[in-house]
Amino acid sequence: MKNTAALVVVSALIGISSIVSADVPIKSWGKPSLQGNWDFSTITPFQRPSSFADKEFLTPGEIEEYEAAVKNSRAVRAAAEFDGEYDQQDLDVGYDQVYLDQGTTMSSTMRTSQLVYPANGRMPAMTDRGRETAGYFRSLQRRAPEGPEDRNSYDRCILGFNAGPPMRSGAYNNMMKLVQTEDYIVIQTEMVNDHRVIPTDGGKALPNNMRLWKGDSRGEWEGETFVVTTTNFNHLSRFNGTGENMTLTESFTRLDDDRLEYRWTIEDPEMYTDKYTSVVELQSTDADLFEYACHEANYSMPLMLSGARKQEAAGIEDDTWLPSWSR
Amino acid sequence: MSDIDHKFISVKRFAKSAGVGLTNLPFFRAASFLLMGALVSSCSPTPITSDMSDVGRVNAVDAIELPDLSGIWQALNTAHWDVEGHTARRMPATNLIGAYGVMQAGTSVVEGGEIPYLPEMQAQRESNQADWARLDPAAKCYIPGIPRQTYMPAPFQILQTDSEIFIAYQWGSNSRSIFMDRPGSSAPIPSWMGYSLGRWEGETLVVDVTSQVPDTWFDAAGNYHSDALHVEERYRLIDDSHIEYEATITDPKVYREPWTIRMPLYRRIEDDARILEFKCVEFAEDLLYEHLRKDYEGPKALDGSVPENPA
Repeated sequence: MKNTAALVVVSALIGISSIVSADVPIKSWGKPSLQGNWDFSTITPFQRPSSFADKEFLTPGEIEEYEAAVKNSRAVRAAAEFDGEYDQQDLDVGYDQVYLDQGTTMSSTMRTSQLVYPANGRMPAMTDRGRETAGYFRSLQRRAPEGPEDRNSYDRCILGFNAGPPMRSGAYNNMMKLVQTEDYIVIQTEMVNDHRVIPTDGGKALPNNMRLWKGDSRGEWEGETFVVTTTNFNHLSRFNGTGENMTLTESFTRLDDDRLEYRWTIEDPEMYTDKYTSVVELQSTDADLFEYACHEANYSMPLMLSGARKQEAAGIEDDTWLPSWSR
Repeated sequence: MSDIDHKFISVKRFAKSAGVGLTNLPFFRAASFLLMGALVSSCSPTPITSDMSDVGRVNAVDAIELPDLSGIWQALNTAHWDVEGHTARRMPATNLIGAYGVMQAGTSVVEGGEIPYLPEMQAQRESNQADWARLDPAAKCYIPGIPRQTYMPAPFQILQTDSEIFIAYQWGSNSRSIFMDRPGSSAPIPSWMGYSLGRWEGETLVVDVTSQVPDTWFDAAGNYHSDALHVEERYRLIDDSHIEYEATITDPKVYREPWTIRMPLYRRIEDDARILEFKCVEFAEDLLYEHLRKDYEGPKALDGSVPENPA
């Protein structure tokens, strides 16, 4: 796998893009098959860590070291004895290592980050408007929730924190199913049990006033790559601080029997000073998706609201509802 | 998962190749409309017959011809309110939005008219019905399960491949895979939509649905089941634009005998037909959490306001 990935990297570096190997399954109508279940978990960081500085790619040896370090740090956390002191982090995230399923390997892109543009692998700066808007939504989540609308779309089980669009490796449920016919491709994400049905003929754009949580996705084949353009998000979709006017462009390229390149670019000049692009390679899996019935078992929401009402009744003002990891 | 697909001929393209453009034939539309009207007005569980002469086919590589169910479909009846026959009823919204906030009348989709409850199990249905607005899982935006998801008042899209038939439902952004290539397998755990295994019996797609959680209802009239539910669905394309849908429900803990619902499903034939997003969570939050909002002052209108002159 690593050697194959290295070949792809080398090929990309010498300017031969979109190399598709001979073992790419092809549909009877001549298009590469994208159908199957795909695992998008990866420990490749979304943004390039400062320790990698200007380094874009890792060697196989460096990848082994990185993966071993991640495994080791998880093992240390899993084996840690309770020190008798509860801290805020214990309260914020009620998951231990048993519940987390973040993957154990770096993406076979062999890159130091999922972000490939801007070239430094870091998020572009937000605009003033972007910072102001993000600050507003943070303030809602900081206060004791007055109603479910104060919490984000993930707490409400409307969107999934890793289901996008676009999909991005997160704490768990990093699985998606692609179902492909000549006329449509469905993306079914395990997280919050959600789907997009995407026409392959370019579709017909919705009018500007029709805004959807997942936006309006339309696809077309560009050679061997399926390209999906999504617009018409609502103002609460907010992937990574984006706004309702963002344009998302996703590309799916089958590389071989096991791998699917997933590349996406977000352009949102209202909220960000530059576009940004991510690339990962997804792994085919025989595992089924589970029905992640998020809303049906959302005990957190009534408990959070009950807690907030209890605080009010006791005259407690609490502005620490924003989890420590997102402050 | 297999990636060797049959060569599909969509119904639309089949119709075009046969000189029967679905969207540009007034006669077709008129005939279709009349048929729809006849079926809706009778709303009968009587078997629907057709000579299959204009049914689209999948032209498989190995010459096996299977009907192609691909497309956007919708039930047009009131079974989601009550699968048995019912006159129009008031709802909690009736005093707010008048005639729009009413359960429409409809005839029974149950073969024989009534569900054969065990005598001792009927009372549960009555108590469910008496408090349905608070109890109905679908009103809370919980996954409706099978068969109710099929006749919720929103379209759904079928994508047919050789390894699975995928159904994307607009209501709740729910979906399911009907596995065609793993007979005899079973679900790892129960789920709201259950585990669907499909097979072809002649021209009919037969789907065994097992491992559904006991928390779903069949309608807003409190008709319920237990964890022993087994549903056998049958989808039969009777012409280009109609599927005869049947579901036989077996649950010896609740019913004297298996019972069957039957209804037509109608193809959405408009040019820009598509399923849209209906994420019902945001519309169920008032029902679920209103009493936990800050400054809650008792029942409120659908827009969150306190009515000045409650009816």
